[in-house]
Amino acid sequence: MNGAVATVGRDLGRILEALGGLMLISLVVPIVWGEYFALPALLVSALVPLGIGWVLYRRFEGAEAPGRFHGMIVAASGWFSVGIFGSLPFLLIAWSVQLGVPGFSTPAQTATLAAFTEPLNAIFESMSGFTGTGLTMTDNEEVLPRTLQWWRTFSEWVGGVGVIVLTTAILSRPGSGSLTLYESEARSKKIHPSIVSTVRTIWWIFILFTFGSILALWLAGMPIWGAINHGMTGLATGGFSITDNSIATYDSVAIDFVLIPIMLLGSIAFPVHYLILQGDLRNFYSDLQTRWVFGYMGIGSALLWAFLYFAGPYETPFAALRYGLFQFVSAATCTGFQTAVDATNVALGRWPSYAQLTVTFGMFVGGAAGSTAGGIKLIRGLTLVKGIRHQIADVFYPESAVRRLEINNRRLNEEEASREFMEAAIIVVLWSTFLVLGTFLLLLTLPSGEYSLANVLFEVASAQGNVGLSSGITGPDSLPTIGKIAFLFHMWIGRLEIIPVLVMLRTIFKRGGVYR
Amino acid sequence: MKSRDIPVVSAVLEAGADDRVFDSLLLTGPLVIGLVVVFGRSLVTEAVAIAYIAAFVGYTLYRGVRT
Repeated sequence: MNGAVATVGRDLGRILEALGGLMLISLVVPIVWGEYFALPALLVSALVPLGIGWVLYRRFEGAEAPGRFHGMIVAASGWFSVGIFGSLPFLLIAWSVQLGVPGFSTPAQTATLAAFTEPLNAIFESMSGFTGTGLTMTDNEEVLPRTLQWWRTFSEWVGGVGVIVLTTAILSRPGSGSLTLYESEARSKKIHPSIVSTVRTIWWIFILFTFGSILALWLAGMPIWGAINHGMTGLATGGFSITDNSIATYDSVAIDFVLIPIMLLGSIAFPVHYLILQGDLRNFYSDLQTRWVFGYMGIGSALLWAFLYFAGPYETPFAALRYGLFQFVSAATCTGFQTAVDATNVALGRWPSYAQLTVTFGMFVGGAAGSTAGGIKLIRGLTLVKGIRHQIADVFYPESAVRRLEINNRRLNEEEASREFMEAAIIVVLWSTFLVLGTFLLLLTLPSGEYSLANVLFEVASAQGNVGLSSGITGPDSLPTIGKIAFLFHMWIGRLEIIPVLVMLRTIFKRGGVYR
Repeated sequence: MKSRDIPVVSAVLEAGADDRVFDSLLLTGPLVIGLVVVFGRSLVTEAVAIAYIAAFVGYTLYRGVRT
């Protein structure tokens, strides 16, 4: 076990060093925008994880190479630590403005920024960013210092790459979708043979797509600072915005429709993007998950459009299409950008319950494994559906019949099929259990009668699916402290697909003698 | 000195889809965005941005058709 501590400590140290490095890079932003008062806070924020990371790395430098067990614990503890230490810029900049910084002129304190003087709010914002959720403790993002607008965006963007790396290069296992993708690519090529070159290529694709997204949004009419931030958070399917009413602030059809393909890009598995950039366009329809990204988003959007037009709040077919399509894609890709707000049309929280539940279903399923999207992932949903059909059909065959389950051009024998089906079922059961528990807890802690069951279920699914859409519950004052702590947990387990967190908690409890 | 010897360029060339056009788009991306930041919205910057996206989409389709 001590060997495991050393291995985890070494890798955790590297992660914290990287976090400190990201904060140091971000020092450019306050310099460019002339927000010099943010410089000391950001510098101190960077030095803390850098120092701790350096000590951990030096202390355990000679530790053994990590195995899958270590990988899971490093992922779970790493994401948790990054969420904690990533809150320092929010906390310290908010206090810098609150108290003033000697030698620097500080702007007037705002209620939005003052919320981050509470450590729990700062940690919530940071965890929301690094898990790509997008639920926020801000009332009005527009009044935040540009430095914090950038840090929120940057955290989601880096977290987005992190989760692709996690699923495609580190936690590849049956049912995760990653192994499925790799094995189905026998007809083509794997990304790269080693983890290091795979990670480099993921960065390469992600950065190229980011440039394209930024320029497309700018061409659609978004100011360049907004295009940079929304391009990054849109592709990362994070959903943080720099405007008060998310994308509804722009109230632009062109921007809405340009963001849809950007969010879709983020929800397609990156190994598939690699193959498409290699010229293998067949993957748009031959890859099971990619085919279903378009298929189920098309069906879900059409259903939502029908609800919103025939029985809902929109009077014209185009308005129902515009808001229904955008919100379903935003939910199912787990981005969380919002165009349905009261300022320009009808807020999501005031949509009919069945329309809200349709969006909730999108958040539950999510996008493709190996992408930046959250939810249970399409491949698991499809494995469950095909597995159940396979099991039922089994009754009609003689006992001696040899049957195979076909998933994504892979023919699985009984043992393989059973293993993948069970893993998908475990994740879905765990996901649903935590969703129900979270809903129950929130119903207990929220003022009675203020929110409907559909509102609460929607909000918890949004946190656990790393989506970020809100029915109006999440906010510095509206969400009770217990709710904030519960949402931190939901965002964390949602990002890591639950099992690594449970493995880490079991290890800690077992080591502490709590669990035997 | 070859382009492969420049630090950032070498990292870009070694990763990705092993294609010089995509590599070039990745390297010129920051320049195009920088142009937009410095000069703002004008006919020229819009034309450059459109050309960038058209090159990316067009070349992806071209590779797909050719393969």
